[in-house]
Amino acid sequence: MTVQQGTDPIHVPLSAPESEAVEERAAVPAPPRRRARAGFPWPVTVLLRLLVPAAIIGVWYLISEGRRSGLFVKDPLTSLERFVEDFLSGDASRLFLGDATYDHLFPSVGRALAGLGIAIVVGVVIGVLLGISPVLTALFQPLIHLGRSLPSPALLGVFFFLFGTGDSPKVFLIAFSVVWPILLNTIDGVSSIGQTRAQAAQVFRIPARDQLLHIVLPGAAPKIFAGIRTSLSFSLILMIISELQKSENGLGYLLIQSQRTFDYAGFWSVLIVLVLLGVAFNFIFLAIERRALAWHRGATQQND
Amino acid sequence: MTEARVTENPAPRAATSAELLLDGVSRSYGDNLAVRSISAEVPASKISVIVGPSGCGKSTLLRIISGLDEPTAGRVEFEGTPVNGVPEGLAMVFQDYSRSLFPWMRVDKNVAFPIKHLPAKERAERVRFAIEEVGLSGKEKLYPWQMSGGMQQRVAIARALASHPKLLLMDEPYASVDAQTRADLEDLLMRIQAELGITVLVVTHDIDESVYLADRIIVLSAPPSVVAEVIEVDLPRPRDHIATKTDPRFVEIRGHVTRLLRSKEQVAPV
Repeated sequence: MTVQQGTDPIHVPLSAPESEAVEERAAVPAPPRRRARAGFPWPVTVLLRLLVPAAIIGVWYLISEGRRSGLFVKDPLTSLERFVEDFLSGDASRLFLGDATYDHLFPSVGRALAGLGIAIVVGVVIGVLLGISPVLTALFQPLIHLGRSLPSPALLGVFFFLFGTGDSPKVFLIAFSVVWPILLNTIDGVSSIGQTRAQAAQVFRIPARDQLLHIVLPGAAPKIFAGIRTSLSFSLILMIISELQKSENGLGYLLIQSQRTFDYAGFWSVLIVLVLLGVAFNFIFLAIERRALAWHRGATQQND
Repeated sequence: MTEARVTENPAPRAATSAELLLDGVSRSYGDNLAVRSISAEVPASKISVIVGPSGCGKSTLLRIISGLDEPTAGRVEFEGTPVNGVPEGLAMVFQDYSRSLFPWMRVDKNVAFPIKHLPAKERAERVRFAIEEVGLSGKEKLYPWQMSGGMQQRVAIARALASHPKLLLMDEPYASVDAQTRADLEDLLMRIQAELGITVLVVTHDIDESVYLADRIIVLSAPPSVVAEVIEVDLPRPRDHIATKTDPRFVEIRGHVTRLLRSKEQVAPV
């Protein structure tokens, strides 16, 4: 395994005297306790956290009351009602979800996830290859930086030309745009595993397959996850952009369509959906990361 | 990533009792000569210690012995067979436990990882034995980073033992732990070596440690390194930190090694 010497976030030399008191630092990898910020009692913390969102909704309301701005900005309550009506008002057979959820939200989410999924697979596979081979990295580094710095929405036309007008140009645009953070982080993560671990793997004659699955991938995982997290928010942005043109459904389509028909309540309800979607994506991602990288959180906390 | 090469060893063992033989081993990087014609024998079932000043090419030498690097001249024989790739029956303990252990695996998984190919039952038995040997029973389910430095290095030793090595290489194994832990781990090593009869080769820059541990000390000079002297340490075993270290013979050998290292530092050509 040819792994470059990298900075190792895990390594901090420990030199505590090995007395009984410090021998065992924690019996089990305890989840980090949620500490109230700055030591406030929790109701105060909750209140503080709600203050800014409440202020934003207040400002939103004030603007919607303006004589001219009110024409475009619908008030929060109307927007929320419209959101419930379009997206959440179905009967039990439709799981209480509205038509817009099925017609626009699900197709959009499907494209975003498909694009992200392709980007994760491609980014990790190529990233690992480049990470373990300095020669490949040197060869493809310029190409990667070129691809990364290209404003990918500009390529939408190219993707339409290549893949027609269905879902595929949109999915591939999302995949192409969000693959870079994952790719670069994977390369970085693989090179950061460190020479000593690579050497240990060699001395213990670990087969290449096990080195890959049990050393390279877990070792690079913290960085890979950081890359995916960036890509996740990109994928939502690109999802919207890809649906602005030549689209028959999706949240992006809905945004454009509601503006063209002066249906501003509809427009604002889509924005509410997008906010909720972003929050939901992030929440799910964090839950997965928390499980997959439990060791890493523990390791970095111990060494703080 | 290169898959480790397996050195088949069908040849009968050479008549010599040397487990490991270095014959005129040199290694240069470009014009820079790291080790210069090192010849030494590491006897079977004994503890040998290579001691030398910092930067004397000890790590280079270990890489060559473990088959990770090739000498530019000379040869290395392990059990009478030239070393070509990482030989079977060799295990290594690195100085930097926090970098050589896998922080995403619990202790038992770390120890079991090099012997993954074995049947589950034998693997479990070896892991249990190795962890018991280093005194970590009951700590199997901890992650390395939940342990002190000394305990992590015990895990690294257990991992090496689990692969049933004939030759245990240790690269400055105790340089990153405090003095008390270091003393404990030195005694642990000698006890395990006596019990299992494995051949141990320790590389260190610590003169006290080299005399305390060794049956044979191989003193290296400053770079480009040559063997300054090979010293047979005839201190009685079992040794302990008070009796052995106050033994006049210990003091004598330690003084001798110190003088060797010091004089070589001064007169060595650059």
